[in-house]
Amino acid sequence: MKKITRFRSYLLSAAFAFGAVVFTSCSDDTNNGPAGEYARNGVLISNEGAMTYSNASVSFYSHDSKSVENESFKKVNAPLVLGDVLQHMAQQGDRLYLVMNNSGKVVVTNANTLKAESEIAGLEAPRYFAALNDDKGYVTEWLGYDPATYAYSNGRVAVVDLKTNTVTKTITVGVKPEQLLIAAGKLYVTNSGGNTVTVINTATDAIETSITVNDGPNSLALDRNNTLWVSSSGIEVWDVDEDDNWFVSEEKSTPGSLAKINTTSNSVMSTLTFSQNAPAPGKLTPNLNGDKLYYVFNNKVWVQDVNATTLATKPLIDRGTYVAYGFNGLGIEPASGTIYAGKATDYASNGWVVRYNPQSGAAVDSFRVGIAPNGFLFR
Amino acid sequence: MAQQDTTLYHLRTVEVFGKPAEVFASGSRVTTLDSTFLRTYTAGSIADALQSRTPVFLKTNGPSGIAIPAFRGTSPTHTAVLWNGLNISQPALGQNDMSLLPLNSIGSIAVQHGAAGATYGSGAIGGAILLNSPTQLEPGFGADVLQEVGSFGRYFSSASARYSGRKVSVGLGGYYLAAENDFSFRDYGRIGGPTRQQDQAQVAQHGFTQDVSWQLSDNTRLALHGWYTHADREVPPSLGAANTNAEQVDRNLRLMTELNHSSNWGETSVKAAVFNDYLLFTDNNNHSTTDINTYQVQAEQTYTYARRWSLRGGLNLQHFEADVQGYGRQVKEDRASAFLLFRYDPSKRLDLSLNLRQAFVKGYNPAPAPTLGANWLMLQHDQHQLNLKGNVSGSYRVTTLNERFWQPGGNPDIKPEQGWSYETGLRHRYTLGTLQLESELYVYRMLVDNWIQWMPVTSSYWSPRNLQKVRSQGIELSSRASTTLGDWQLAATGAYTYTASEQVKAYEGNQELNSQLAHVPLHKAQLGADLTFRTWTLLGNLTHTGLRYTDNSNASSLPGYTLLSLALHKKITLGQYQFIASVRSDNVTDRAYTVLENMPMPPRSLAVGLRFVIP
Repeated sequence: MKKITRFRSYLLSAAFAFGAVVFTSCSDDTNNGPAGEYARNGVLISNEGAMTYSNASVSFYSHDSKSVENESFKKVNAPLVLGDVLQHMAQQGDRLYLVMNNSGKVVVTNANTLKAESEIAGLEAPRYFAALNDDKGYVTEWLGYDPATYAYSNGRVAVVDLKTNTVTKTITVGVKPEQLLIAAGKLYVTNSGGNTVTVINTATDAIETSITVNDGPNSLALDRNNTLWVSSSGIEVWDVDEDDNWFVSEEKSTPGSLAKINTTSNSVMSTLTFSQNAPAPGKLTPNLNGDKLYYVFNNKVWVQDVNATTLATKPLIDRGTYVAYGFNGLGIEPASGTIYAGKATDYASNGWVVRYNPQSGAAVDSFRVGIAPNGFLFR
Repeated sequence: MAQQDTTLYHLRTVEVFGKPAEVFASGSRVTTLDSTFLRTYTAGSIADALQSRTPVFLKTNGPSGIAIPAFRGTSPTHTAVLWNGLNISQPALGQNDMSLLPLNSIGSIAVQHGAAGATYGSGAIGGAILLNSPTQLEPGFGADVLQEVGSFGRYFSSASARYSGRKVSVGLGGYYLAAENDFSFRDYGRIGGPTRQQDQAQVAQHGFTQDVSWQLSDNTRLALHGWYTHADREVPPSLGAANTNAEQVDRNLRLMTELNHSSNWGETSVKAAVFNDYLLFTDNNNHSTTDINTYQVQAEQTYTYARRWSLRGGLNLQHFEADVQGYGRQVKEDRASAFLLFRYDPSKRLDLSLNLRQAFVKGYNPAPAPTLGANWLMLQHDQHQLNLKGNVSGSYRVTTLNERFWQPGGNPDIKPEQGWSYETGLRHRYTLGTLQLESELYVYRMLVDNWIQWMPVTSSYWSPRNLQKVRSQGIELSSRASTTLGDWQLAATGAYTYTASEQVKAYEGNQELNSQLAHVPLHKAQLGADLTFRTWTLLGNLTHTGLRYTDNSNASSLPGYTLLSLALHKKITLGQYQFIASVRSDNVTDRAYTVLENMPMPPRSLAVGLRFVIP
């Protein structure tokens, strides 16, 4: 059996193309809330769509009417097309930022009406967005894909002036920068094609340091102790059997892990390593209090108590043999703690949102949304 | 003159049972494209002719013109394409682009609707397109030169020449097409929907055909047919998607030789062919080549007894050598099939056909594909003729090489498809003087097991999956009227099809059951008119394609569209030569439409042409 690694990054990138978990607390003004169709008590859902078809969409679930509306962006903005591959959706103030990966741009809409207002153009394969405040935001971008070797070069973080929606500066970081998070004036960027987290000073937009973690850091979350958690996928190695079928070699792969990082010293406090080799943990999502972190590992949802020193031994949500992308998106509703999972059946038909009980992990109900739901914004 | 008499005699033996394509297709629907239309529309491609004159749905990836045909709610891989009787479907993709050859290179086009696996082999689940090289019966020399200039930087040139002598006839043809396709469209993928020029749909194509026929003896004829096409086409991105500079180069070489011999044992036909199909797809992230050599031999013997029955037995062998980058290694495959076709006319008013084919492919066990059909002249009264037809056919499709070997995504466990088709129809003919009215009504039901559909299983690659059972059923209605009134020749055609194609059983889950399959229009309607007044000819086509869903859950759809095309020809005779001047306009009403999602199609276009004919 020969070791084939050239597909590795390709397949890793496939695995990493999911997971846009956005968590924003934006509902402390319920009495005097903003006006608009989508400012209501509900959830915005980002649907990735199938690559090259430009059929990404936004859905809205209303808690009041207990019904879902699909194609919300289209409904408001037709004939305007949202774009190709909605990788990530994030809110800052009254603006909604929709990262359109294969359109090379971020679409900016009013967060309450979804009316398209502007776009941040000139980006190459943008992945995730984070805003420091109403004036400044950051976008991670993958760069330099070489079709011959399936490898990427170093990516970058674009600094965006959110008043003019233009890129003012780019910062070269590691390979395939994925999720990013701002904590205490620092921007943390996971370089999923390597083994580092880049730390950028948001006042100067200069790199301060880089923290070495396990291979393939892909998502991060801040807990109530201001500890930064980073999930790393480990290295997944593919192999070929006698019948020329491809499979993930558990033997040759390395395990994933969760790393805890002290945000004052920017050093790794401890690393919790999984016992199983190939599956990759990801989509770290905190609850409202920040005392629990939810993540997806081996097509199951697990909970990590932030004060525990070991990994959980049993998953919270275990659907047994389940569709490969049953947890394409993960969200925790702040008020109720209800777990929202974006279930992608395939990329040709619409997916589902399945809601789970936060205590028992039992499926509560489900509703149908657009193609490949991957993120949630709770209003 | 002996040879010619023999040729005519042989033709007559076939004509006893009607057109060659129909002999063993009793009770099924076979239509031959109107030769007047083919001769007038020479600058168009086969795809254009099918689009405007048959119920075939052509899936096109946009203005570059790649057009793959689908019948009766099935997918393009369910269409067999035969060239002079040999299946030319490329084994990697299992589908054929109908925009590679212009009509001037083709002698005749017939369309078999519905399954006919027994007659045409793997892939003839939804239907088959039968292309035949031109045959020359009139002796002498002839030539034809055409130059057309059209909107959006379109230039089309073609030339052909033929010579037919006592023993040898030779035909040569060539064409060249260049199109910028730089039309304007509203780019709704950008804020404000600015008007933009299409800059990623440039097309350069050329091709040659050659047909040589040599009457070796009174009873023996040898023919060589060759076809070479080259197409370099940019593929535009969807609205809103990044332009990745996608480009597709296709190069197809098809060579075949055919030996026909008639004896007391009937007609013997042996065909041998070599095909090379090369495809290069490139964009910013891909460089993918497909290079396939196909070697094919087909031998058949047809025995016809009086006007009562005809029996044809044959054997087909195919050998594929595929060098496809996406497979990571060379793949070779052998396929064989044996067939027996029987036509029986128990009376002048009834004809029956019973056909059977068994295919052999290593690693697979294709089920036998039988056909049973009947055509009964139910009523003959004054000027009226009414036929009742019925047909039951089996069909199969061996999985394509891509479906099994493409990495990543290829599915080695994919099962071959197998289908059953049931149809019945009425055909009415009315003749009064020069007025001819012919109407057909068909209903069909088709069941396909293990229907294969490529699905994007992750955001970066697609993989083929078997749907357990797909049912396609529908109605086809068509009518054609023609007459001559003094200096006027008038013909009008109308057609309507209703197609419901649904997955009715699934291996897993049930959410997509009983929903119309993506990209299959429920309704399609056409109106066509050919008007000739002395030296003037006006061709008009109005086609309506109904709403199509873009996903298997029927949540999003594309609106229907109606397109009008018009062409006016004027024939000028100079001695024995002819000039034909033409003006043609497609999408006359300037309709903004898309065939596939977010892929704007060209607005109104205009083309003028001049053709010089030495008859």
